Amino acid sequence: MTRERLKDVGLILLIVLALAGLVLHSTGLLQPLEDLVVRVTAPLQETMSQLASKVGELGQTVRDLRDLRQRNEELQAENDRLLLENVRLREIQHELALLRDLLNFKQANPSFEVQGAHVVGRDPSNVQRYVILDVGREKGIEHNMPVITDRGLVGRIYEVGQGWSRVLLIIDASSFVSALTQSSRASGLIQGQEEGTLAMLNIPQGETISVGDTVFTSGLGGNFPRQILIGQITEVKRKDYELYQEAIVQPTVDFQHLEAVLIITDFAAIEPEEGEE
Amino acid sequence: MTLYIVVPLLLLVTVVQTALVPYLSIWGIFADLPLLMVVSWSLLQGRREGLVWGFVAGVAIDVLSGAPFGAATLSLSLVGFVAGLGQATVFGTHIALPLLAVFLATVVYDLLFLLVVRVMGQQVLWLDSLVRTVLPSAALNAILTPLVFLPLRLVHRHFVRKEMEI
Repeated sequence: MTRERLKDVGLILLIVLALAGLVLHSTGLLQPLEDLVVRVTAPLQETMSQLASKVGELGQTVRDLRDLRQRNEELQAENDRLLLENVRLREIQHELALLRDLLNFKQANPSFEVQGAHVVGRDPSNVQRYVILDVGREKGIEHNMPVITDRGLVGRIYEVGQGWSRVLLIIDASSFVSALTQSSRASGLIQGQEEGTLAMLNIPQGETISVGDTVFTSGLGGNFPRQILIGQITEVKRKDYELYQEAIVQPTVDFQHLEAVLIITDFAAIEPEEGEE
Repeated sequence: MTLYIVVPLLLLVTVVQTALVPYLSIWGIFADLPLLMVVSWSLLQGRREGLVWGFVAGVAIDVLSGAPFGAATLSLSLVGFVAGLGQATVFGTHIALPLLAVFLATVVYDLLFLLVVRVMGQQVLWLDSLVRTVLPSAALNAILTPLVFLPLRLVHRHFVRKEMEI
């Protein structure tokens, strides 16, 4: 047989094998062979597949990284904006709470005509206790008007200008307020002390006062309205040989953090003399 | 230093003193920036300028303070003048000298201030004021002296002494 004839036979044999393969596969007889081939090539396929997948993932990662970086910048900018907004809103919330307290006080005490004011400065020295407010004559503020917050008595208007006024705080040594204790109705004179507390002086020896007693303005002397809360007694100083007893009073107003006050504008205070109010 | 600089500077410092410094208090006591500046400059430049600085700062304080007008002007002018007597010894000495000067100046200033306030009719609790306010604020001012004195000394060396040499 010539070479050419052998090649032709070979081709015909291949076609016959292919047809035989089709028939054998459809009958299921090729199954064992197919299983063997798959079992042998599967690990390689798996490896190749994983490699292809990883390469694909790498490409995706690079794309994702670029997108993430951009998204991160956008989120950072948004975060900064929200942070500032948050700070601003917290301030507004704080201001709102402050003003709500003052409004509640005003609503609970409708007999008072009041003007709200913010504290914008304090006395530059340690030995005086004044604060500066942002309202003055233009709002009808006058000398000696009582100043309060929802927590109690703050002081009185000491000086008035156009657009400002100065308040003498009750914790200043030159401030005197006529007061009463709530339980026993003992009367006395409240004077400011250096450490920011108050002393209730000239309490008659026969009066019963105790730690925890609440102290209010008595209205005596006419320089403050009655029944404005001043503070609470924290210590009683009594000596049998003295005519009067004294008490230390912790003010209810936090003078260190005073931000907003109310000025009672419809109370006509009597001008205090030295040493008495 | 020219008044065109001194007046606005001390006015600004006093405004900061009323609007900001009280909120930085420690146990209710805060620093006295105008006093620190007056005494520091007085130690550097002498009693005449110390008097001028004390006067200007005192007027600014009196305008913004609730105390009788003149209390701070008088007290600070005097303290500025007296502090200037220490000028000759401040150069080449330890920072302790300005610290001590500020401590003593604060005590003298506060007591003078209270005296003027008392004379003008306001009540003063002398012992309480001395123990609870004057001495603690003198200590605080002394501790903070380097923060004011050293920058002023730098300004003095670079600008004022150079002017004098010219």
